[in-house]
Amino acid sequence: MQLFFEHLKKDHLLSGIDARIKLIVAIVLLMLVLSYKGFAFPMVVAILGFGLCLCMKIPFQVFALRFSEPLFIALVLVALKCFFSGSDVMFSLNLLGLDIVGHKDGLIDGLMIACRIVGAVSIAAVLGFSTPFTRLMAGLSWLRVPKGFIEVLMFAYRYIFVLLEDALVIYNAQKNRLGYSSIRRGLTSFGTLAGSLTLKAFETSQNTTIAMVQRGYDGNIPMLKHAPFRSSEVACSIIFVIIMGAIWKI
Amino acid sequence: MIYSNACVAFIAVFLFCLPGSALAMHISEGLLPFNWAALWFAVATPFLAYGLYRLKKISKTDISFKPLVGLMTAVVFIISCMPIPVPTAGTCSHPCGTGMSAILLGPPISILIAATALLIQALFLSHGGLSTWGANIVSMGVMGSFAGYGTFRLLRALRINLSVAGFFAGLLADWATYLSTSIMLALGIKGADPFMPIFTKIVISFIPTQLPLGILEGAMTASLVVMLAKRRPDLLIKMNVMKSGEAAL
Repeated sequence: MQLFFEHLKKDHLLSGIDARIKLIVAIVLLMLVLSYKGFAFPMVVAILGFGLCLCMKIPFQVFALRFSEPLFIALVLVALKCFFSGSDVMFSLNLLGLDIVGHKDGLIDGLMIACRIVGAVSIAAVLGFSTPFTRLMAGLSWLRVPKGFIEVLMFAYRYIFVLLEDALVIYNAQKNRLGYSSIRRGLTSFGTLAGSLTLKAFETSQNTTIAMVQRGYDGNIPMLKHAPFRSSEVACSIIFVIIMGAIWKI
Repeated sequence: MIYSNACVAFIAVFLFCLPGSALAMHISEGLLPFNWAALWFAVATPFLAYGLYRLKKISKTDISFKPLVGLMTAVVFIISCMPIPVPTAGTCSHPCGTGMSAILLGPPISILIAATALLIQALFLSHGGLSTWGANIVSMGVMGSFAGYGTFRLLRALRINLSVAGFFAGLLADWATYLSTSIMLALGIKGADPFMPIFTKIVISFIPTQLPLGILEGAMTASLVVMLAKRRPDLLIKMNVMKSGEAAL
């Protein structure tokens, strides 16, 4: 859970920028990356994203963990495309009696998808690392995302940490009592853990509602109020998007 | 043909050796091209809208419903982040939990829960993605929830006991998620190639981890339903999972 930004440095060059602007720029960049057919633009975005993560002083371990899964998926896809797709034979080798054929056009297609993954992940990572959760929710609310959805998001985010602590206590207790020593016991233990968490969720929702009603909750959670847009931020973001659009066009 | 089979075997062995996280159930950020990402968003939107409508409607009469849905989202999020050893593959993987949430709260709310958990995972863990959010909602939320709920209801209507119905609901919810993920992946990455060969290869590649993982998800759902029936039958009756007469037995 160290990947959540609460554990990261809060004072950096993107922290003062309006969450709405960051959201809009991120969405535009994502659309540009997804619609690009080539290597250059996603790599420019990825380098920019890595640079911003460095400027935000994201710990290397957190950064590496964040990118490890998408990079693995990219690697698998490059292999899939190289061996299963295309017709232009690049190499063939015999491995334990199996003929493995790599295709040049498949490899190029795979690398293009891998670049797209790295570019898109870097955009989402910068957005996640640079924006506090409550500001993101306020930004989504401004973008007319339904209020009910945002409220569920806020409840979920608040209780992930509470339930995670309970889950770890139960999991460690089960492990200490050899709850995962065999497949059968492991399955039963995991089911018990999930059941305990579900029960806890039901009970906590009742208690939380009572506590919130006593504090004036009427079924709606108020959102953060936005300050007006700063013209300098708007101008800078428009120039940035135009520059990125020009690079995309090239 | 011989080349193709050899390659399938090679890739299956290659994937077999990878950490389970590489075979995670969500489609990664940026993997789908723009047109496919947009299409899956369009498919997911009406389901999500209906889930929100149900949430609003139930919340009018039960003020604790929104907190409950939020907490169930947290449970699904945690379950889908829990690394579980998959002995046959020698790796760790994780269940999705939508079968369980669909049984307890119904498919529309379960889709909303899946969408919420997926958005948090995409924003803060790079698990799934913002651009693939629609596709992941369709596979994990829509397919997983409806497969799990439909199976559970059908088996209960045939008077199959809670444990077995829960097992098959979890199992089929998981496998439906992976099947739809495979279809989306194949459509998204096939390029100019035909659909079926790449789809078959993706499904075969998923088998080493997802086959046992589906069984794990089934066992988890069965244990959970049985545990709730023993400890809080009132909850299951309230959620229409079982009838009051059954609780007394």
